[in-house]
Amino acid sequence: MPPQILDTILEGRRSQPNQLIEVLHDVQENYGYIPREAIESVSQGLGVPLIEVYRVASFYKAFKLNPSGKHVLTMCTGTACHVRGSHLLLDYAISQLGIKPGEVTPDGLFSIEQVNCLGACALGPIVAENGTYHHHMTPAKLRKLIETLSRQETEDVQYAQTQ
Amino acid sequence: MLQYVNVNIDGATIRAPRGTSVLDAAIEYGICIPHLCHVPFLSDIGACRLCIVEHVVNGRSEVTTSCTLNVEEGMIIRTNTDKIRRLRRNLAELLVAQAPNSRAIQDIALRCGVKEVRYPFRNEDCVLCGRCVRVCAEIWQARAIGFVGRGKDRHVDYPFGIRPDFCKQCGSCVQICPMTIPPCDGPMKPGEEYLCGKCESQLMDETPGSCAWCKLGEGFGCGRYVGV
Amino acid sequence: MPRLNSYRELEHLRQRLREQRQSITTTVMVCGGTGCRASNSQAVIDAVRDELSGQGLDDSVRLCVTGCHGFCEQGPVIIIEPGNIFYCHVSPEDAFEIVYQTVMKGEVIERLLYEDPVSGKIVQTEAEIPFYKAQDRRILSQNRLVDPCSIEDYIVAGGYAALPRVLNGIAPEDIINEIKSAGLRGRGGGGFPTGRKWGECMDAPGDEKYVICNADEGDPGAYMDRSVLEGNPHLVLEGMMVGARAVGASKGYIYVRNEYPLAVKNSRIAVEQAREVGLLGDNILGTSFSFDVDIARGGGAFVCGESTALMASIEGKVGEPRPKDVHTVVDGLYHKPTTLNNVETWANVPSIILNGSSWFASKGTKGSKGTKILALTGRIKNTGLVEVAMGTSIREVVFDIGGGAANGNSIKAVQTGGPSGGCLPLGKFDLAVDFDVLAEAGSMIGSGGMVVMDEETCMVDVAKYFLTFLQDESCGKCVPCRLGIDRMLEIITDITEGRGRMEQLDLLEELGDTISQTALCGLGKTAPNPVLSTLRYFRPEYEAHIKEKKCPAGVCKALITYRIDPDKCTGCGVCISGCVHGAITGEKKQPHVIDAQLCQKCGICRSECKFDAIQVF
Repeated sequence: MPPQILDTILEGRRSQPNQLIEVLHDVQENYGYIPREAIESVSQGLGVPLIEVYRVASFYKAFKLNPSGKHVLTMCTGTACHVRGSHLLLDYAISQLGIKPGEVTPDGLFSIEQVNCLGACALGPIVAENGTYHHHMTPAKLRKLIETLSRQETEDVQYAQTQ
Repeated sequence: MLQYVNVNIDGATIRAPRGTSVLDAAIEYGICIPHLCHVPFLSDIGACRLCIVEHVVNGRSEVTTSCTLNVEEGMIIRTNTDKIRRLRRNLAELLVAQAPNSRAIQDIALRCGVKEVRYPFRNEDCVLCGRCVRVCAEIWQARAIGFVGRGKDRHVDYPFGIRPDFCKQCGSCVQICPMTIPPCDGPMKPGEEYLCGKCESQLMDETPGSCAWCKLGEGFGCGRYVGV
Repeated sequence: MPRLNSYRELEHLRQRLREQRQSITTTVMVCGGTGCRASNSQAVIDAVRDELSGQGLDDSVRLCVTGCHGFCEQGPVIIIEPGNIFYCHVSPEDAFEIVYQTVMKGEVIERLLYEDPVSGKIVQTEAEIPFYKAQDRRILSQNRLVDPCSIEDYIVAGGYAALPRVLNGIAPEDIINEIKSAGLRGRGGGGFPTGRKWGECMDAPGDEKYVICNADEGDPGAYMDRSVLEGNPHLVLEGMMVGARAVGASKGYIYVRNEYPLAVKNSRIAVEQAREVGLLGDNILGTSFSFDVDIARGGGAFVCGESTALMASIEGKVGEPRPKDVHTVVDGLYHKPTTLNNVETWANVPSIILNGSSWFASKGTKGSKGTKILALTGRIKNTGLVEVAMGTSIREVVFDIGGGAANGNSIKAVQTGGPSGGCLPLGKFDLAVDFDVLAEAGSMIGSGGMVVMDEETCMVDVAKYFLTFLQDESCGKCVPCRLGIDRMLEIITDITEGRGRMEQLDLLEELGDTISQTALCGLGKTAPNPVLSTLRYFRPEYEAHIKEKKCPAGVCKALITYRIDPDKCTGCGVCISGCVHGAITGEKKQPHVIDAQLCQKCGICRSECKFDAIQVF
């Protein structure tokens, strides 16, 4: 883990404990998760006890303590999406990929996240894939989305092998 | 210079220094208010909710925790109304259903009048009272343990789950934990938990008129024993 | 843009900008809010922009990328003035036609117009659309006029006129009295009288005070604050400036939840722009008033919508609420007096200052003045953001604005106030949208979320849904919330899986009452509401789950079976290839059969079947 990135993130914020959440956001954006070394460096850099940094990183859903999959399927489980059947989508994703929310498939390709409302309620149920919103989703459409992404991965691997 | 105020607790007028909590003032005068997460020499967090009392303001009574409420001149407090006893009993029932494998928790349940447990028993070994976290942070300033995670996931842990080298190995966390007081008849096997009701606290009556210097208090460091 | 050193310079700027725009004959407003972006409105915006440039129309036609118009299901949305022409479901390919036909020749494109699902009629203008017509869009209508990333738009539209007024010799007490007379109550859920809150903060001892805008909007199904903050951040900023002046604060924060990246971005831009012209910073408009604002991001925690948890989060700590025996207006952020208000509350302030408290109080009821923005979603025809005068009945909102049931089902209930609120049955739809009326009925306005439910919604499942949500979001500190919600969920799960017992209903009520009285913060205190209100109004559904082990709405998986209706089934085989559990068998053109043992009720077959042949029992 390149120390320069952490230095840049901590620049102008050293010894300011109230910057902890902003700093962790930047770490999350840069690394896709909060590595252990980052927690230790942030603790020293901001002057916040180690257990406190660890605590904050574990409290907020935005921060992941483990890397995500290549394709993060964020399922909205807000009320409006729920009455339109979002629980069926979540159940389907869990059974199809064999993982629970917060986990990554063994091949590292997919992870499932659950979010309690993305704020696009009129278009629900919503499944976001790496930030792209798919609206009015049904279990059938979700199945197609996962299949398309999986197929794309296989094709990419095959293409890379031919190079 | 200590400034004193007069507060009315259960009809008795009590003089206490400004800045004292209602709980501390009551305990000092021998009025027993059950509590779990309160320890006299540590900060109060109002987490267990057992020390609730009715605070009468403008004719309305508010239910609030006495450990976080500071005494004010003319305050009116009721610690033992039917409502408070019912609420406390329900809270104690939740606690004993969660962690029956602790003498302190069983005794608290009896003290709060729990006669039946209407939830399936679980066998947890931590009630998240936070005494260990606070003693590590406030007395030893080690901060080797803390609360991690959120909601159902909340638990006490070391950073990354590994005991750090700055843990002073003082053993205070174990000493102050209400769960480490051994149960009377040995550990309850999972699936075979029950409401014990055999407290040595000498409480025949769920609402003693004044402090009985009970074994419960002695066992897990009640405010009266440790000293306000 | 140059720094404004006085009120006169601001007015001159406003004048100049308006003159500059006199050559504009047509304005094309394209919605760039999150909802329309999810429908690819960015591509529409780019296409229209290219087309306008290509036709050389940049001087006479203004393209305004606006915030949310509230009718998200119709997006991407374009409005053209003059003419108030409303186009919906616009795709990038339509850009040429829109510019050539409508902008240049003034001709309306029929196929892009809105078709009212209730009457079947085609409607040309935004004003005539029943969804909009029945509303009172005091705040939301401003979203059409401004590009949120343009302070010029806001100034041209008349913005930053309230601020000079409160800096010009009006005493803070008078500002507060005006807000008090207006009767403005908090729009975030608490409904606390805003004027009183400001007064208590002003009176609190201390030189260092804060104002905070709560844009955490964690209620699932609510996106009012998102649309106001994304679409008109300067309106919110101006409200905060007025508030800061009134209570004596020199620093403010807008706390935006992490799940709203566009709102974070647009408020940051707005703050930068305000700083650039000197409307934030030292000696604003040449007066002694100094005030600055920073944006703070949430980390994904519903509990951070609670004021003390929010403040802890700004301080860089976990969002754990603390007891409020001393109020936050006295001991708040960094233990200083703090005024925390919701986005919509702040957004109402400038117009009260400009138009007066009587104007504001002219709409609404005795106890609830003004308008309220609601997020109307669920099983109705028209979903979206709706603004109505307080006192409007639920019936009007659901049927006149919402257009009634979406798919021929009958509407059963409406859930208001998010996880802190409750469900009200059809029989209570004549109740008014009013803080006290709804609270008395066992629900609440809350932040304004209104989810409509029909006969295919199981009310026990709704209670379970909210409990699961709250259990996930609870900070876990206090016993009643952490253990109490868990046990309530355990009981409700038993009920939805056929293991319920009648005495558990009484236990739910007793436990709910205990949690509501003993929990440390608002999240815990209101957590039992969904359960208690559904028990109050929909007890027969609970009893059906317990006594007959049936789910009347056909939702609870353990109590339903999927069956293919042999009369409707055409034997097309689509469901067989769709079923991932191998539970369906059948020959071509013969009615298919579902094996109940293998069926997991995942719903794929139902969503694939074009003949509606798969029924739920």
